[in-house]
Amino acid sequence: MVTLNINGRNLSVEAANDSPLLWAIREQLQMTGTKFGCGAGLCGACTVHVNGEAVRSCQTAVGDVVGKKVTTIEGLSAKGDHPLQKAWVAEQVPQCGYCQSGQIMQAASLLAKNNNPTKEEIVAHMDGNLCRCMTYSRIQKAIMRAANEMRTAANSATERRAT
Amino acid sequence: MNSHVKMTELQSTDLSRRSFLVGAAASGLMLGYSAMPDALAATAPANFEPSVWYAIAPDGLVTVTCGKADMGQHVASTMAQIICEELGAKWSDMRVSLASNDPKFNDPVLGAQITGGSWSTMMNFDAMSRAGAAGRIALADAAAASMGVPASELAVRDSMISHAKSKKQMSFAEIVKSGKATKTFTPDELKAIKLKTPDQYTMIGFSVPQLDIPDKTRGAAKYGIDVMLPGMAYGAIVTPPVRYGATVKSVDDSAAKKVPGFIKAVTLDDKTATTTGWVVAVANTYQNARKAAEALKITYDGGPNAKLSSESLFAEAKRLQALPDSGEFFVKNGDTAAAFGTTAKVMEAEYTTNINIHAPMEPMNATAEFKGDILHIYTGNQFATRSGAIAAGAAGIDPKYVVMHQMWLGGGFGRRLDADMTVPAVQAAKAVGKPVKVIYSRENDMTMDFSRPLTYQKVKAGLDGDGKLIALNHDVVSAWPTQRWGIPDFLSPSVDKKGPLDAFTVNGADFFYTVPNHNVRAIKNEMAHNATPSGQLRSVAPGWTFWAVESMVDEIAHAVGKDPAQYRIEMLDGKGDNAGGAQRLRNTLLAAMGLAGYGTKELAKGEGMGVACVSSQERKTASWTACVAHVAVAPSGEVTVKKLTVATDVGTQVNPDGIQAQVSGAALWGLSLALYEKATLKDGGIEQTNFDSYTPLRMSQLPEVAVSVIANGEHATGVGEPAVTVIAPAIGNAVFNAVGARVRSLPITAEAVKAAMKA
Ligand code: FES
Ligand code: FES
Repeated sequence: MVTLNINGRNLSVEAANDSPLLWAIREQLQMTGTKFGCGAGLCGACTVHVNGEAVRSCQTAVGDVVGKKVTTIEGLSAKGDHPLQKAWVAEQVPQCGYCQSGQIMQAASLLAKNNNPTKEEIVAHMDGNLCRCMTYSRIQKAIMRAANEMRTAANSATERRAT
Repeated sequence: MNSHVKMTELQSTDLSRRSFLVGAAASGLMLGYSAMPDALAATAPANFEPSVWYAIAPDGLVTVTCGKADMGQHVASTMAQIICEELGAKWSDMRVSLASNDPKFNDPVLGAQITGGSWSTMMNFDAMSRAGAAGRIALADAAAASMGVPASELAVRDSMISHAKSKKQMSFAEIVKSGKATKTFTPDELKAIKLKTPDQYTMIGFSVPQLDIPDKTRGAAKYGIDVMLPGMAYGAIVTPPVRYGATVKSVDDSAAKKVPGFIKAVTLDDKTATTTGWVVAVANTYQNARKAAEALKITYDGGPNAKLSSESLFAEAKRLQALPDSGEFFVKNGDTAAAFGTTAKVMEAEYTTNINIHAPMEPMNATAEFKGDILHIYTGNQFATRSGAIAAGAAGIDPKYVVMHQMWLGGGFGRRLDADMTVPAVQAAKAVGKPVKVIYSRENDMTMDFSRPLTYQKVKAGLDGDGKLIALNHDVVSAWPTQRWGIPDFLSPSVDKKGPLDAFTVNGADFFYTVPNHNVRAIKNEMAHNATPSGQLRSVAPGWTFWAVESMVDEIAHAVGKDPAQYRIEMLDGKGDNAGGAQRLRNTLLAAMGLAGYGTKELAKGEGMGVACVSSQERKTASWTACVAHVAVAPSGEVTVKKLTVATDVGTQVNPDGIQAQVSGAALWGLSLALYEKATLKDGGIEQTNFDSYTPLRMSQLPEVAVSVIANGEHATGVGEPAVTVIAPAIGNAVFNAVGARVRSLPITAEAVKAAMKA
């Protein structure tokens, strides 16, 4: 039995320390928003956050995240209304949708550090995430839109503090 | 097909002979076509058992049940949009659900549950519209009765029925709750319903948000891989080094037995011949199943294909093409043999394409459960009718005892027309007496793909003294993906009556250019057919036939000193059978040229624009599509695509934003196949195993893509595939215009371009 902190809850799971985090999350804890695509760190479908950093859960051992905070797509926002999730709907990004949890989690780790990324920074950050439906240009637009919303929110928050 | 796969007969659910029923049920209002032809149908709502197309709940929510596989084309949402238009519901009240394989959800035209060929919207538009209108009429009649006003004075909008004079109004929810909205439409009454004309549309033609998208941003959409059944075990498969034809000699599970949770290794006994030499390791968790799979020591007999390679398949294709009596004729117009005797110039060229892998992001998977007499299969599938039969064959039961539970598809692209994933799930579930979920590793998924076949085409063109194309012989040699299904209805008679041919290997070669003497031969490469069982990959034949046709037309234009676009326009004269189609294609080409600024500016050195135009998919279901590709070619031969300008005539668009998404996705598939995707066979096995060696387009390779959709009010045509087929020839032609290098093999590699530059 291993205890993991996922989306703010401590959950126990029957998994060997060296087994991939991906399967523990998906199949045992049944949080199926995190997807399996390649099992080799090549597609990004399985992306989750560990202490805020985007990692490939298929390449992360269960034992390595004990005592750390894991966030999955289900825990990114309380109501599915993270600026990226809203932007994904506004830009109508998903086609089959299978890669999109990973895309959103990967993008979220970028915007958490940089809410004004250039197109080049977006491409460099997102290039490891495959989308077989080829929704790449809408992904770029949605990240830009979400970044814009986050900046606006940050500015008005600063203004409120100033007054 | 062998005797172990029994298809329930393809029955076209001829809706013109069925009543449409609107009936009250415990859960609200159900609307659908009668399950039986009219003569037999009970008209009393007491016997109400329609094929439910949609239902309206007492809270007013309208749920449309979609019999099509939704793999990202948002077809469920599109069907809801068509119904919503005539029903008069509010878009935010619309919901979608996915159908099981009950024949009542069969496609009304195809008589089966199959999603492919960009057929869905085209074939369902009228039936969905009438279903929506019938619902509106039934609701309005009920409202009229309770308001005491004539139904003809009612207006229906946004899920609300109102009477202007008396200011009375009722919501759909209230009418449904009243239980009064029951009505039966005879086939004649249904046919007599006057549908809206396009100028009255408030839904069709508008980019309403797709109903499936919000769940897909929260990780909430359920795909086949997400199915969880109580008490289920997991299966990991071990596939042999040979794609097809291997047999298992021995399985040593002594090391696997040490893996905790290991249950059993099951060697498949696949009488449907869908798989060969597969073993499933079953365990309590997927991790343990994988570990056990890796611990199994299996020896194989590689079988008859164990020595074959891509090279041997190409060599066999050439040998077959050279035989005078190979294959069957798909097109035989005029007399090419006589015409070649009169030509001033003859040109010949060979065009090839390599094996391509579907690799949808969701690897193949299926969950099987035996419950009483019934075998339940949970998987995302494009061809429930056939897949159910394969699952039944694997279980040794009659197909009528199989229920296929449809899930969202994490990509289809034609891959999920096949049913191989059901076989290990069924046999493992049977062997261990529990439900089993089988998940392919990416390596299993890639090496056992029903791939786009390797193709070899030989084209011989004869020109008259004015440079006009007057004779064309076009031979297409490939595995036959559709023949593999074993369903005679999907094959086509050859024009020389030599027997049926697989038109899904030659579609597109029957183009809309006027060429008076024209032969197309479909030649089956039996060796490739056996060694690399092929499948339908997004757009199928036009993905290779237009590579040959549109490259050759370009070569001819250059050879006679004409602008390639102008040369095409002259051949699109709309004579004879080509009337209408040719002009639409010409206009589309002109649109793409105009949008791209073709021929209007001097390009930098090493840059070029190339054109192509296609009538994919099939001649009778064409979406007219043209592309201008703008490329830059480095001295190393490396090709960078700067811009793809695509124009496509789709007749009528239901959801313009959705069409933009589909067409640009298709165009990028075309780019990915043209430059980046190549699989090879060696020692009978596919060499590429994951996304490091099989490399679809990534974000950093994205060019500018401009899509223009022409909607001229004709019938709606498919949009998910045609743009795939126009890109490779447009890029190849652009490379020639940029640096004078003619490449005739896909994918276009830097080495090939460089070699052709020197030549
Ligand atoms: S599944 Fe982890 S990177 Fe592909
Ligand atoms: S939306 Fe289908 S793989 Fe990205």
